[in-house]
Amino acid sequence: MRRAAGIALWAAFLAPVALLLGWSFAWRWPWPAPLPERWQASAWTGLAATGGLGAAALRSLGIAGAVALVATSLGFVTSRSAVEARSGVALRWLLHLPFALSPVVLGVGLEYSFLRAGLAGHMVGVALAQGILAYAYAVILFCGLWNARTRAYLDGAATLGATPRQAWIRVLLPIARPLVVLCLVQTFLISWFDYALVLLIGEGRVATLTTSLYQFLLAGDLRLAAASGLILLLPPVIALAVRAQRRPPTFAGEWDL
Amino acid sequence: MVVWALVGGPMLLGVSFMAAYSLGLAGLLAHGLSFTAWAAVLRDRVTWISLGFSLWVGAASLGASIVGALLVLALRPAAAMAGEAVGVTPWFLPIAVPPMVAGLTAVLWLGNAGELARWAYALGWIRRPAEFPSPLYSRDGLGIIVTQTALVLPFLVVLFGRLARLHRVGELVEAARTLGASPVGAWRRVGTPLVLRAAAPTLGVYFLALSGAFEIPLLVGASYPTMLSIRVVQLFGQFDLSTRPQAYAVALLYTLVVAACSAIVLRARPRAARSEGA
Repeated sequence: MRRAAGIALWAAFLAPVALLLGWSFAWRWPWPAPLPERWQASAWTGLAATGGLGAAALRSLGIAGAVALVATSLGFVTSRSAVEARSGVALRWLLHLPFALSPVVLGVGLEYSFLRAGLAGHMVGVALAQGILAYAYAVILFCGLWNARTRAYLDGAATLGATPRQAWIRVLLPIARPLVVLCLVQTFLISWFDYALVLLIGEGRVATLTTSLYQFLLAGDLRLAAASGLILLLPPVIALAVRAQRRPPTFAGEWDL
Repeated sequence: MVVWALVGGPMLLGVSFMAAYSLGLAGLLAHGLSFTAWAAVLRDRVTWISLGFSLWVGAASLGASIVGALLVLALRPAAAMAGEAVGVTPWFLPIAVPPMVAGLTAVLWLGNAGELARWAYALGWIRRPAEFPSPLYSRDGLGIIVTQTALVLPFLVVLFGRLARLHRVGELVEAARTLGASPVGAWRRVGTPLVLRAAAPTLGVYFLALSGAFEIPLLVGASYPTMLSIRVVQLFGQFDLSTRPQAYAVALLYTLVVAACSAIVLRARPRAARSEGA
């Protein structure tokens, strides 16, 4: 029974992906046909041939990779000060605010300053704006690391003569490794999924996969939109596949601060 | 201190600029202190309709997701982890879907010429696309609510499942039943309050995030009424630059509402944690 429920669930959740695949390989899919009249791979070969979309995919990858690396590194190093801060409730509020607030509002607020700084309409500006969200998330996540057990390990290492640097590299990093991997993946996805900040800070001059998908949809080309959507699904699906192999840390650390 | 600077700095910069621009003190249209933009925004019925519509969509999406997730847990607790034989529960899958792709999928499934409409035609229920009762682009926001619920409900199933295990809800529900509670009563009076109390801060932040959603309302929302995020972009992106101060005023108004609501939500958390520990 549980196996049947599992299969039914997988089928329900994979049906939208199947529809995207169908549209991306459809040659013609007129109303009211439930399936395409003919199949072809032109959307995919078109994607490969269209330099714009390949460049958009690479740009998305580059921005998301940079955001993930910088946010995770900074979040890891500075999270301890967040845990030890006296103004715990206020800091927790500040860290959650970028998520509670619409990215549109964040983008509108930052756009003019970024314009004056020469960052608007540039990949670096988009990455910096997304970095605010990603960094806040990283700090929230790493705050779960600084529990009594981790402190006891660090104190033990210090008692045994380890320098602070040795304690970080030989004790803290191995403990934190699963969280670091999780943080890298999640902050990558925060950037990879983003559309609003790319639109507002990028000012239409930074084309990523999300903006390309919207353009295809506006133009009525559902085949290219579906193909772009499937490319957008790739990294998170790969992350889930990796998760299936190696269990990440419990959720508790992710939500506690 | 670094955390305050890296997150608070840009937020403060953004808020200060929105305030200055909307009051005529900064930006291209700065001509000295003026409350014209604020007066126009506060008098405009569309502002309040957009704010109300945003809160309605956020509440309805979250409410439907909470009810759905609690039903999954109450009816078949094992269902929350169903499919884990392959290493990862399928409930995780929608978490991997970007909002832009979710909107596209909603268009392809639920649109007037979408897959469901095609099946309805094949079954003889409709003859034209216009006859299909698509929830997309409706003025009550049903398309946005359905799409957001499809993304959030699976996440809540996973979250509630983990919280239920953490707080031993299954054992407490069993204990309530041995004391004479009905299955529904045990879940309603014991399981549901425990899970909801533990998840309250996350749900509060989620409600605000859903109310400020952008991509899904952009793809499947009606042209009127619009969510506040769409309203801000509409005012911000017009060729007529004179609406920009109003865009900043609406954005700042929303920021103040969200800041106040999130402060209330997050202040409530330590109290809940204390009572759990007691």
